[in-house]
Amino acid sequence: MVQYFADIYQAVSSAMQGMGITFKHIYKKPVTLQFPDERQVMPERFRGFVHNDTKKCDACNICAKLCPVDCIYIETEGKAKDRYMTRYAIDYNKCIWCSLCTENCHTGSITMSHDYDHSVYDRKSLVYEFMDPREARVPCHRQTRIDQGWWVEPKEEGDKGDDA
Amino acid sequence: MQLLYDFFTGQMGLDATGAHVSVASLMAVLMFTVMAICAIFFTWMERKVAGFMQSRYGPMYTGRFHGWAQAVADMLKILGKEDIIPAEADKGMFKFAPILVLLGSLLAWAAIPWAPDFVAADLDLGLFYIFAASSLVVIGILMAGWASNNKWALYGAARGAAQMVSYEIPLALAAVPVIMRAGSLNPQDIVISQQGGIWHWNINPIANPFLFVAFILYFIASIAETNRGPFDMPETESELVAGYHTEYTGMRFAFFFLAEYANLFLVSMIAAMLFLGGWWAPLPGMGWIPPALNFIIKGVLLVFLNMWVRWTLPRVRVDQLMYLCWKVMIPASLLCVVGAGLWMMAWGQLK
Repeated sequence: MVQYFADIYQAVSSAMQGMGITFKHIYKKPVTLQFPDERQVMPERFRGFVHNDTKKCDACNICAKLCPVDCIYIETEGKAKDRYMTRYAIDYNKCIWCSLCTENCHTGSITMSHDYDHSVYDRKSLVYEFMDPREARVPCHRQTRIDQGWWVEPKEEGDKGDDA
Repeated sequence: MQLLYDFFTGQMGLDATGAHVSVASLMAVLMFTVMAICAIFFTWMERKVAGFMQSRYGPMYTGRFHGWAQAVADMLKILGKEDIIPAEADKGMFKFAPILVLLGSLLAWAAIPWAPDFVAADLDLGLFYIFAASSLVVIGILMAGWASNNKWALYGAARGAAQMVSYEIPLALAAVPVIMRAGSLNPQDIVISQQGGIWHWNINPIANPFLFVAFILYFIASIAETNRGPFDMPETESELVAGYHTEYTGMRFAFFFLAEYANLFLVSMIAAMLFLGGWWAPLPGMGWIPPALNFIIKGVLLVFLNMWVRWTLPRVRVDQLMYLCWKVMIPASLLCVVGAGLWMMAWGQLK
């Protein structure tokens, strides 16, 4: 009999306690973000979609060779000082976000961006072309780049340089 | 009501029967409209309350302000859905069950006193009629579960029948002290007996603590009656797929949905009528508030309380549900009737 009333007391008091907690949350600011309007600020080292700045890139091909899934397509034309990059594309269908390309890029052109919501209707749309269609070709040789006023990786002490 | 009746006999030149039929039809249409609006409003409210209690927003986009049009959009969508009847279902019963469920609550709405002179059916046995009419819902649910020819639906219906039949006892017993105090089963008389501000309402625990306990018992039983909150055994979506309405789609499902929210508001309005002074304003100086508004606000607050309980407490087990009803609430409500009677006798409040 004592247990019976103790049970009733416990049920009522614990229900009241729980309702107190839920009531407090009505006035608290919700913790969720209204996604398309508000976006979460990503941590600095967040691995989003890989991005390549073709203005910095000199088509050295290191990224394409390191890529374990071969998702980077680089096309060039010409040789030595007349070598130009005509295509730089990344196939996000294949990319595994391993970050090997960004860690080994000597110009710092390829980076992990903070984008994470590229939704597409077609798988083909996930092959991203990075060349600005207005540029069509970007010089790869260091001297040509300097001559034409492109961005160049500053030479470090003891750097032998790996210009194509 | 008299005004409407006079309008039909005087202005429209109808005889007594014609006027009665006209008033009744008008009220039926009005009640159904109010019921549909209630269902839409409470769907939205439920989602917002649930959202904020879980530290999120709920619907935010449809209709700009806090997604107010989301429920309207959902209703429009559900109207356009395909009507599927399972091949092995009992077709007649399958079609009739949702109508019966909705009919149960719509019938009960007839005797709700909205304002001093505004009640669709002013019955002397109004309260008894409300409880009797809302029992129809049980039959509808049982029919829906059986006719679906689906084991989940049948489980849900059997649970629903057991639960709703059991909880009708404490529900009605909790209303008995109020009837004793008012000395009438007429909803209008029950409301009028609580005249004179918040301390004259039946809920006041100082005037009669047993009536306050009766209110709590009524509230818990009403949650079980509407198959909501911690007592949503008939549709436990994590155990039975969707309970008795697993096989229903489109408009037929919408009928169950409509009936759930109509029942929710119905039990809240009955609680407001029995314990919270119906259409009386909370303080004597507040007579300028329209009585119907008073009544609706009280009803909506009780609906909020109902939602608050639903989004706080976890679902109980079937045996716990039955334990609560038969071993706790029925003895408590019987004690409440006796205690309230003795209290009223002692203080000379009996009529």
